[in-house]
Amino acid sequence: MRAPARAPSRTVEASRLRTFILKRLIYAIPTLIGVSIITFVIVRLAPGDPIRLYTFGARDITSEDIDALRHVYGLDKPIPLQYVDWLVKAIHLDFGQSFIYHQDAAQLFVQYIPNTLVLALVALALQLLIGVPLGVLAALRRGTWLDGVVRVFGVVGHAVPGFWLGLVLILVFAVQLRWLPSQGMLTVGHDVWDFPDRLRHLILPAFVLSLTGIANYSRILRTETLDVLSQDFVRTAHAKGLRERTVIFVHALRNALIPVVTALGGILAALIGGALVIETVFSWPGLGRFTFQAAIAKDYPIIQAGTMISALLLIVSYLLRDIAYAIVDPRIKTG
Amino acid sequence: MRVHQRTGRALVAVLAALMLVATACTPSSPATSPAPSAAASAAEKPQEGGRIISGSLSDIATMQPVLVNDTASGEATAMLYDVLITADAKTGEPKPGLATFSASADGLSYTFEINAKANWSDGKPIIGQDYLTGVMAVGKSAKTVRKSTFQDVQGFNDFKDGKATTVSGIQIDAANPKKFTVKMASVTCPALLSIANNRYTLPTQVFGKYVTATSKPEDIDNAPENTNPTVSSGPYKFKEWRKGDQVIFSKNETYWQGAPHTDEYVIKVVANQAALTAGLKTGELTYSTIAARDLADMQTVDTVAITKYPSLGYSWIGWNTQSTAIALADKRVRQALAYGLDMDAVIKSVVFGEAIAHVAHHVPVQWAYPADTSALNPYKYDKAKAQQLLTDAGWVKGADGILAKDGKKFSLTLSTNSGNTTNETIAQVAADQYKQLGIDAQAKPEAFQGLVTKLTTGDKTLEATIIAWSLGSEPDPYTIWHSSQIPDPATQKTGFGFTYFKDPAMDKAIEEARNPSNGDCSVAARKKQYDTFNKILNENQPYNFGFVPNTIAVAQKSLQGFAPAPFSTLYNVQEWWIKK
Repeated sequence: MRAPARAPSRTVEASRLRTFILKRLIYAIPTLIGVSIITFVIVRLAPGDPIRLYTFGARDITSEDIDALRHVYGLDKPIPLQYVDWLVKAIHLDFGQSFIYHQDAAQLFVQYIPNTLVLALVALALQLLIGVPLGVLAALRRGTWLDGVVRVFGVVGHAVPGFWLGLVLILVFAVQLRWLPSQGMLTVGHDVWDFPDRLRHLILPAFVLSLTGIANYSRILRTETLDVLSQDFVRTAHAKGLRERTVIFVHALRNALIPVVTALGGILAALIGGALVIETVFSWPGLGRFTFQAAIAKDYPIIQAGTMISALLLIVSYLLRDIAYAIVDPRIKTG
Repeated sequence: MRVHQRTGRALVAVLAALMLVATACTPSSPATSPAPSAAASAAEKPQEGGRIISGSLSDIATMQPVLVNDTASGEATAMLYDVLITADAKTGEPKPGLATFSASADGLSYTFEINAKANWSDGKPIIGQDYLTGVMAVGKSAKTVRKSTFQDVQGFNDFKDGKATTVSGIQIDAANPKKFTVKMASVTCPALLSIANNRYTLPTQVFGKYVTATSKPEDIDNAPENTNPTVSSGPYKFKEWRKGDQVIFSKNETYWQGAPHTDEYVIKVVANQAALTAGLKTGELTYSTIAARDLADMQTVDTVAITKYPSLGYSWIGWNTQSTAIALADKRVRQALAYGLDMDAVIKSVVFGEAIAHVAHHVPVQWAYPADTSALNPYKYDKAKAQQLLTDAGWVKGADGILAKDGKKFSLTLSTNSGNTTNETIAQVAADQYKQLGIDAQAKPEAFQGLVTKLTTGDKTLEATIIAWSLGSEPDPYTIWHSSQIPDPATQKTGFGFTYFKDPAMDKAIEEARNPSNGDCSVAARKKQYDTFNKILNENQPYNFGFVPNTIAVAQKSLQGFAPAPFSTLYNVQEWWIKK
């Protein structure tokens, strides 16, 4: 009986969602152009000439050869012209050649993105799979030792710096106990598809990267669940004689999850940003470390492409958040 | 509620304590039994197989020798391409590599003959044409930083400028394709190592097509074989490059000096010094060099062997002799700054004693270093003498304890590249010591990127700069110390003469050792010039020559035949083997 009544509204909702996504994607274009201009200008106005930096070790190089190099990379043109050149190429997905690697920036990034995504997504999964149940459990067992542990963890997990914890874990689990590798993504000599080996390499960095999130989510979930559990509709649900499990999972949890979705918005970007530190501690061949080294070497094409990728990821993760909102909470209207 | 808070606090305390214990843990002796020392290896029969994993702090950038401009890429190309002439690992003197050599009596041409056994890994012989291909690749490339390498070879500049289709000065023997002659435009003593101690002998069957008359610069610069080399003349062949993580080489079975004992050689990228030491402790890395601050820690690990030797380079403080602070223009002031800095104390706090104080340009392992060091003033720490020299120069302490002359206070900014802990500590320790002399000295770390540009373009606001030089087997100091290399913003001339110090006698000595008027490029003749050169520098102190740090190499004890030396670590890599 209810199905026909809901069908049109679902179609309306779906098309509304489509319009919403399309609109957001169109808005993304000026945002990306803005980001590209700001990055372009800042890296070029910062002190230091990338060609001088690159040739510092080549002591025999002549001034003419330095000028010739600058010309090859188009760095002898005025900045606005350089930007136009970059933009025209970027539209065709050509982000220029790295000064250091003499390879296309886009091609280089393609090799680093999966490494960082694996780390970030595993960390995200850990955050949700550990953080959410921990928070709910703590709320349900409020006042017990479990609650105490979760709350302490909520503080400690937040306060412990990732790089420090990473170093400690390497010392304990790799150097002392020899249970896990100290660094990298894969044991030297192992095939790239050696799944168990990759997993062993993932444990420490993914755990450290997820720690803040686990602490965050367990804390949010605990507070929210407690809050929701004390609300009228939950009491009503109980009064209706619904089973405890139904009350918690269908009624309470769905509402308690809304702030988690809010936090998810920036999470992908935050994870990738946070990955820089973790990638450096664990020698993980990822995007963050690669872009950071490019920034030190003033490798303009890489810096520029890296910033664009980060901006795009941020835009996409906010979009995903808003879609998730619509799913978790039908009251939030898209549009 | 209160009870739980207490439980919470107790838990925090326990956790914190656990973590402190974890960090305080010193590495215990690992389960593996200590392997015999490297010395025992000479008598033993090498075992075949295994893998060498070298720890590198940065990824390689390319495997095209023409484009190489960093240490890691240099290591990779050393696996793949042999040099014609090597520099002796211990003395740096030229000796035959892939080829034997002889110089003509007038010093204007060099004849090379490539080893008859030397073949590329695809079975083709390595011939003179391959050298020509490499030189032409340097000429064609728009992105190489090494064009000046061949500027004195006859016909190179014409080829580079597109006026010729080959380099006329490189002539291959009609009867023997392995024999060829390189003709120079002038007698230049550094030429031999410059033109032959490089990895530009490239397989023509691979790169020949990128250096034809119609080839464009991007043909060689973007050649797919730059990142995926297919043919090798060195001990190993390229297998796989996992970006940012590792580069894997497999042994070249037909290597002309004998196939290496290990199956693979891997350059493993590690992100930081801590990861490097951890990898050496766990055995994930076979060998690497470590920072002096990690030495004490590594000495407690009984699975590794440590080799120390003086580096081919030094850390220095450069004085701007044309500084607006004027004080530094006076030789006596610069000498006072040498006497007034306790270099042994600096060495102790910066590199934990792992260095020797240095007072000239050439370093002790180079043949150009004066045999008779008594000619050099050691500038032994002498605060009283420093103060006397400053007084002689007219600097007297004011009421505030700061030296002043003509109403102007003696202030001194020691700039260095931020993030380099060695240089930053030198700056800090030096500033502290100079303060005791009454100098208002400050350490100023700034980004290397900006500092490099300021230095090479002649920004005279820099008063003192702390950096390090790494030197080579060819001791020619022309690009650092000849007066023609002083940057001048007015004419947009750039160079490495950051101190603006010049001296006609020093210029003459540098020129005579580089382009001798009598054509004599012998070590003895050049050494005499360099003695003069070093003495002038030692006397005038445009730099405080700082110290020569030790290189500290750490290897698993299972690695046999590993014998790093100042001029090379990899010279005998084919003889290394892993004891099982």
